[in-house]
Amino acid sequence: MKPILRLDGICKNFGGVVAAKDVTFSVLPGEVHGLIGPNGAGKSTLMNIISGIYTADKGSVFLDEKDITQVPPYTRARMGIGRTFQVPRFLQRSNIRDNLLLGTDLGNQMGYLNSFLRKKGTDFDAELQELLEIAKISFDWSNDISGLPFGKLKLLEIVRSMLGHPRVMLVDEPAAGLNNKEIEYAMDLLHLASKKRGIGVLLIEHSMDMIMDICEDIVVLNFGEVIATGGPEAIASNQLVIEAYLGGEQDD
Amino acid sequence: MKRKFSPEAIVLVSLLVLFIIITPRVLSGYSMNVVNIALMFAIVAYGISVMLGMGGQLTFAAVSFMGGGAYFMANMCTDRLGINMPTLPALLLTPVVFAGIAFVIGLLLLKLSGTYFTFSTIALVQVTYAFYNNYKPLFGGADGISGIPTLNLFGYKFTSYNTWFYVLIFLVIIVAVIVELIRDSQLGRSLAAIRDNETAALTMGINVYMTKVIAFTIAGALAAFGGALWCMHGRFVGSDMFNYLNAAQFIIMAMLGGVNNTVGIFVGALLVKVLPEILRSLQSYMQLIWGFFIILLMVFMPTGLAGLYEQIKANIKHKLQKKREGAGQ
Repeated sequence: MKPILRLDGICKNFGGVVAAKDVTFSVLPGEVHGLIGPNGAGKSTLMNIISGIYTADKGSVFLDEKDITQVPPYTRARMGIGRTFQVPRFLQRSNIRDNLLLGTDLGNQMGYLNSFLRKKGTDFDAELQELLEIAKISFDWSNDISGLPFGKLKLLEIVRSMLGHPRVMLVDEPAAGLNNKEIEYAMDLLHLASKKRGIGVLLIEHSMDMIMDICEDIVVLNFGEVIATGGPEAIASNQLVIEAYLGGEQDD
Repeated sequence: MKRKFSPEAIVLVSLLVLFIIITPRVLSGYSMNVVNIALMFAIVAYGISVMLGMGGQLTFAAVSFMGGGAYFMANMCTDRLGINMPTLPALLLTPVVFAGIAFVIGLLLLKLSGTYFTFSTIALVQVTYAFYNNYKPLFGGADGISGIPTLNLFGYKFTSYNTWFYVLIFLVIIVAVIVELIRDSQLGRSLAAIRDNETAALTMGINVYMTKVIAFTIAGALAAFGGALWCMHGRFVGSDMFNYLNAAQFIIMAMLGGVNNTVGIFVGALLVKVLPEILRSLQSYMQLIWGFFIILLMVFMPTGLAGLYEQIKANIKHKLQKKREGAGQ
């Protein structure tokens, strides 16, 4: 199968700090691909390079085998790179409806004029209902988004991202701050995204239970370098990975 | 996900109807003039609300474009340059021309972001003011341009302030509806996304730069339209109107009412224009009062009167809910 997302030799330095060093891996459609590593390993930087917020010093990003290294971030989003953040980024002064419509806007891509003239987009109501049932969220649309608890916001951000019909979803720590029930719902959402929609999911997560449970393939970063790749079992027993997380023996 | 007509909307429409019926019957002459100017200013303030309220981009450039619109109108209709257009086509042409000009200026200024952009708009105001105040061939210099014909609508000439009122309120309503439609469209949501977090907006597929330029264009067109109306209404255009102090006045209008609230802008424009007339005895202190007002506004009411209203409403709702829960137990 052709990869939907491929990184080829990505390098990125911030001053003297190496955030990414020759990172190469690919994500297949319909796959949940884990991206793990200790704090400061360069996971979020990599997400930012993929979504175009940062430009890589060297190397290329391919979406569906098309080189998108020079493509601006908003075009990448329209081409199908969806994204959620560690701390959900919603319109704080808007209601839930407007916030989710932002996702459908991305899915519709009808442009400002058509939208102003009230051209009908795709009917997202059914899709939204399905997603919300999985996320086990129900609420009054017209309520302010700020009234929602953190866990629901995180789930809702995944839902919003899916409404944009991405081909690749970059999901940054979906389980952080969620209770066990909500983590389950988040996994259900990601399962639906990958298995039913064929979206390639790149998942940053610190909860190893979640990573081991849902990922087919895992990349481990440390100090910007890929130190291991492979399936959950192989990674769990990899000496380098264990050292990176727990601190290895000193050489001297 | 549909919106319903709320009792609020009905109350607002009734109030508006009352305002339209009563105002021209009780006011005339000078006081009518004040209300009319408030209405024209509201059109300009709506442009600011698109930029500042929706998009979070503070711009002082409104007076530059307002002046542009006014002088354009004056030159098109007074035979100064040998052009003698009828007023209606000239009035309709103004926002189109200045949308184009604002678009080009927006492309340039919005290369800067945040505070830097705001400063660049202040610079623009100073530059245009210098031109308006000094360049005689186009702007009449310090004397301004007088003898501008009044609006001629298919043969009917608007000679009294009271008849002007109906035209102006009609136009304000149209502009308000357009702004409300923008708010509830992709453009409005994109601007809101930019206001809250530009990075997140980018990842939602929003072309941040272009979207800001479009908002700036809309604001420029509305300001020019307001300016064109203003010069026909007063039959005169002078540079005093388009200096920095007045630029700030428009920001206050938008902020007092509620910068992201269509009804709030209308109320804000009326208050800022009418209050000084009521407090006439304090006129020499007016700038001072506005200054304090802004500080208090920023600290206690950052979302203006409309925000205050929403807050009170939410509080009451919350209390009622508590009461109901209490009664249920």
